Amino acid sequence: MSLLDDVEKVLISEAEIQERIANLAAEMNALYSDADRPVLICILKGAFMFLADLTRHLTFRHELDFMEISSYGRGTTSTGAVRILLDLATDVQGRNVIIVEDIVDTGNTLTYILRNFAARKPASVRVATLLSKPSRRQIEVPVDFIGFEVPDEFVIGYGLDFAEQYRNLPFIGVLKPEVYQRS
Amino acid sequence: MDLRLPNSIERVLLDEATIQQRVQQMADIISTDYAGLRNEEFLLVGVLKGSFIFMADLARRLTVPHRVDFIALSSYEDSATVSGSVRLIMDTRTDVAGRHVLIVEDIVDTGYTLQYLYRIFGARQPASLRTAVLLSKPEQRKVEVPVDYLGFQIPDVWVVGYGLDFADRFRTLPYIAVLKPEVYS
Repeated sequence: MSLLDDVEKVLISEAEIQERIANLAAEMNALYSDADRPVLICILKGAFMFLADLTRHLTFRHELDFMEISSYGRGTTSTGAVRILLDLATDVQGRNVIIVEDIVDTGNTLTYILRNFAARKPASVRVATLLSKPSRRQIEVPVDFIGFEVPDEFVIGYGLDFAEQYRNLPFIGVLKPEVYQRS
Repeated sequence: MDLRLPNSIERVLLDEATIQQRVQQMADIISTDYAGLRNEEFLLVGVLKGSFIFMADLARRLTVPHRVDFIALSSYEDSATVSGSVRLIMDTRTDVAGRHVLIVEDIVDTGYTLQYLYRIFGARQPASLRTAVLLSKPEQRKVEVPVDYLGFQIPDVWVVGYGLDFADRFRTLPYIAVLKPEVYS
């Protein structure tokens, strides 16, 4: 398959991802009860695979909602401002919210999202991200559940794309530099 | 293994292993049918919220390059009394013209939603338009709609899990279960 030819190496294998997600879910199961009835907010498109695997392990009553965002222009801007293409169907005022992200790098986008959520007056907000790139952080942002800390490499797979490719790889890989340099 | 079989669940209709095996078979067939296409030529369109788990499992088993996109629909009525009035609340980000489009749905019952999707996507000049549906309830069908890749035919019972909900509950069960009638009646 040609997609694999563009992968320099597998950074996190499918088995490692699945094991870590089960552990993250166990942490959440210890923290939340049926009475909390949190709403998990999936940030599309990147987080859909993480959400699908994470939520199947949850034992407390919960609901799901989706938010699709798009950044202005190319990549992450310093303000982190994003356009909301699909807003929540749920009124989260007074609700316990868990934001589910694929990756936190500069922290700008997440900061923007958290500010947007704060205005909706939820009872609590926590953030779960599959990946974090601490070396890229430009702003302190609270993240409660982190799957893996990864080095500053071009990661793809398991929801993460490059130009809408590689999203469906079941592992996290590093893209060969010649692939993103030629575009 | 059903450590968390909730009280409202009558029985498991399709267990996790059965679903996973069937999704793998569907992915194999789809990968064969769409072999040779490039990433930008093949678009999977998932219908939120119900299809996100099916999409996640199907997409990662496909060996043919593709893009993934999502749409969100809203029905004017309560989902328990679908009448065919469907509204698109989020469209695809990708222009579907000239692409091979595969709509990914969790369930077809009356057929109204799928009919609506055929109508709106068919009008956009895709190179081809097909559907992959996990569950079908033929007894509920009100309009004839073609389903190209079907996971399971099921009886006319209220099912939850693997993306399907009852009042936003039970959506993320890893299996498909039958809801006790006293819960929804």
